[in-house]
Amino acid sequence: MARKITIYHLYPNNMNLYGDLGNITALEKRCLWRGIETEVVNVNVGDTVDFSKADILFMGGGQDTGQKIVASDLQEKGQAIREQIQGGLSALLVCGGFQLFGHYFKTLEGNQIKGISVFDAYTIASNRRLIGNVVTDITHNLADWKIEYGFDVTEKNITTLTGFENHSGQTHLNPGLLPFGYIIEGYGNDSNKQYEGARFKNAYGTYLHGSLLPKNPHLTDHFIMAAIARRYGVKEALAPLDDTIELEAHQASTTRAKTAKTVSL
Amino acid sequence: MYNIIMRKFIAIVAAEFARALVMITKKGSGSALPGVFAQKVDPKIIGKLAKMIKGGVIIVTGTNGKTTTAKMIASILETAGHRVIYNFSGSNLSRGIASFLVQKTSFWGTRIDGDIGIFEVDEATMPEILSMVQPKYIVVTNLFRDQLDRYGEVDKTAALIGKALAMAKDTTILLNGDDPLVASLSSYNSKVQYFGVNDKYQTLSKGAIDSRNCISCGHELTFSPRYYGHLGNYKCSNCGLSRPNLDYSITDMSFTVESSKATFNAPNMKTDISISLPGLYNLYNALAAASIASDYGIPETTIITALLKLSAAFGRMEKIKIGEKNIYLMLVKNPTGFTQTIETLTFDKDKKNILIALNDNFADGTDVSWIWDAEVEIINNYYSNFTVSGIRGDDMLLRLKYADFDTAKITKELDLKKALESALKKVDDGETLYILPTYTAMLEIRKNLANQGLVKGYLE
Repeated sequence: MARKITIYHLYPNNMNLYGDLGNITALEKRCLWRGIETEVVNVNVGDTVDFSKADILFMGGGQDTGQKIVASDLQEKGQAIREQIQGGLSALLVCGGFQLFGHYFKTLEGNQIKGISVFDAYTIASNRRLIGNVVTDITHNLADWKIEYGFDVTEKNITTLTGFENHSGQTHLNPGLLPFGYIIEGYGNDSNKQYEGARFKNAYGTYLHGSLLPKNPHLTDHFIMAAIARRYGVKEALAPLDDTIELEAHQASTTRAKTAKTVSL
Repeated sequence: MYNIIMRKFIAIVAAEFARALVMITKKGSGSALPGVFAQKVDPKIIGKLAKMIKGGVIIVTGTNGKTTTAKMIASILETAGHRVIYNFSGSNLSRGIASFLVQKTSFWGTRIDGDIGIFEVDEATMPEILSMVQPKYIVVTNLFRDQLDRYGEVDKTAALIGKALAMAKDTTILLNGDDPLVASLSSYNSKVQYFGVNDKYQTLSKGAIDSRNCISCGHELTFSPRYYGHLGNYKCSNCGLSRPNLDYSITDMSFTVESSKATFNAPNMKTDISISLPGLYNLYNALAAASIASDYGIPETTIITALLKLSAAFGRMEKIKIGEKNIYLMLVKNPTGFTQTIETLTFDKDKKNILIALNDNFADGTDVSWIWDAEVEIINNYYSNFTVSGIRGDDMLLRLKYADFDTAKITKELDLKKALESALKKVDDGETLYILPTYTAMLEIRKNLANQGLVKGYLE
């Protein structure tokens, strides 16, 4: 049966700092290669949109100026986004996107930029920039992914995510909110080298770019599968793809996280 | 007074000592350490030595094209008979500039070996240099995203350059008028002139990643046309901001894979120029150089001759003959530059032999996510052989896969030396291997070629 999923890309004009387009490309191609139709809807400042039409929501990172412009616009869309995520909408929020989906971002000057409180978390700017390759353990998510969608990620023997972080904001998760991953290499949400990102229902916040999805195909496929399950009410396995090149890039990034020096400026 | 002179003298001695140390121990290229020593002794050494350059200093800054533009200006001024000194050995941070100035100064610190200085200055270093030097000209080439892991973000870079421009008193400032962010720097110093392109040229690239929002109101800009990245004849339909009137422009451009032509228009001249470098971005560099030269009063014929005979800056774009085969090195370091370089390979329809070498050492930028913003799709139908290499060659191959390349036809050889050998084997006599390396990959390739006696080493 023909399937189609719609990807809402939030603020591509302002929040596209670190190869974020690669994430959209990965979703599109892995659908295309399986005969699943995709549509990408770019949502920019001032646009009126119906989030019930979205199957996957994506937002990337931006420069400070970009972040300020979108923050107030996002407030107007916040209620609708929260409702959809409560109802199981898949979302990937990278870096600045992750920060603005928390309660607030407190700048160095002490100003609070309001977020939309999808995640019970807040971010505080610091003078220190956390930069480098990252590897996280995401085993705790995999059981859910498997049970809900019949997709056994562990068969592929990857229980990690890998990417690159570059942020000066330090994000703190309130008790009860699960991190997306546990740090194996790199810094993560703050300088404690413990937690990376956050997960609420099927919304995942993370500092990992690089781009994240192309070299973490298990995560990409999870989003596609969850989107189809929610849209069509069926849990179906995706046609397998040859992921040799993806997994070699995953391995190369993992190795680099161990060998290259991380920097904090 | 005595103290000030002594201090300068001791700083020079310290730097010379460091240079000797570098030579004896053969450690490093020697381009930065003497400067570090000199600045330790006398933090104001750059200002003091720069003052001795009688014809003044020209500063070139911006994301892409600094080295090539500086080299073009130098070539024109040298052809006009000036004795030009410039920091081309690589380091464009303050320690590198201090090093090169000390090197050009006599031992007693009384003479400097040149009548015009050209400083290629890193964007973030601009405020420090302007606190010591009052240049005759500053040219800002463009502002793109560069190695973000080092500086943060392009808006911050613009603010740093702006801070420096505000300190310039009797300086003629030349801004790229086609770049909205660069043009907006006039808010820091009104004594500016603009250069840009007036042509029907349309880029193949979609340029999706570069900020194309109005600097003043945030609304999306319209371009008619857009030349590349966020450069073009722009206008904001919301607040009315538009490209400033150009004082210097190029028109009637034409390109081949290895050369470019255009008509240069200045208040005092209109002339055809031709350079043996491909790509619109190199014409922008030539435009910036010719603009300064014409304002400086250099005759038309000198500008034409100097630009024509010029070769590319170190490793930026370099043609090397290997027996009956050619290697063409084209440095890549950020998404816009990468997309532009790839686009030049499509200027003729011949299928190309391509080697991309992606490293992620500090000098390359440790974050390789920018390859996802480069429009590699553009060359999908323009290659006969394709090799990927370098520390992050796996990431490059993955990028190509998601650009719909047939990855079965691409060779992955992470070891650069082996990749170079195997890629060259596939090149027929008379053909060219186009190598697109990041910075440290470029150095590694040059070292390999130097070992074979094909190019000069790093310490020329």
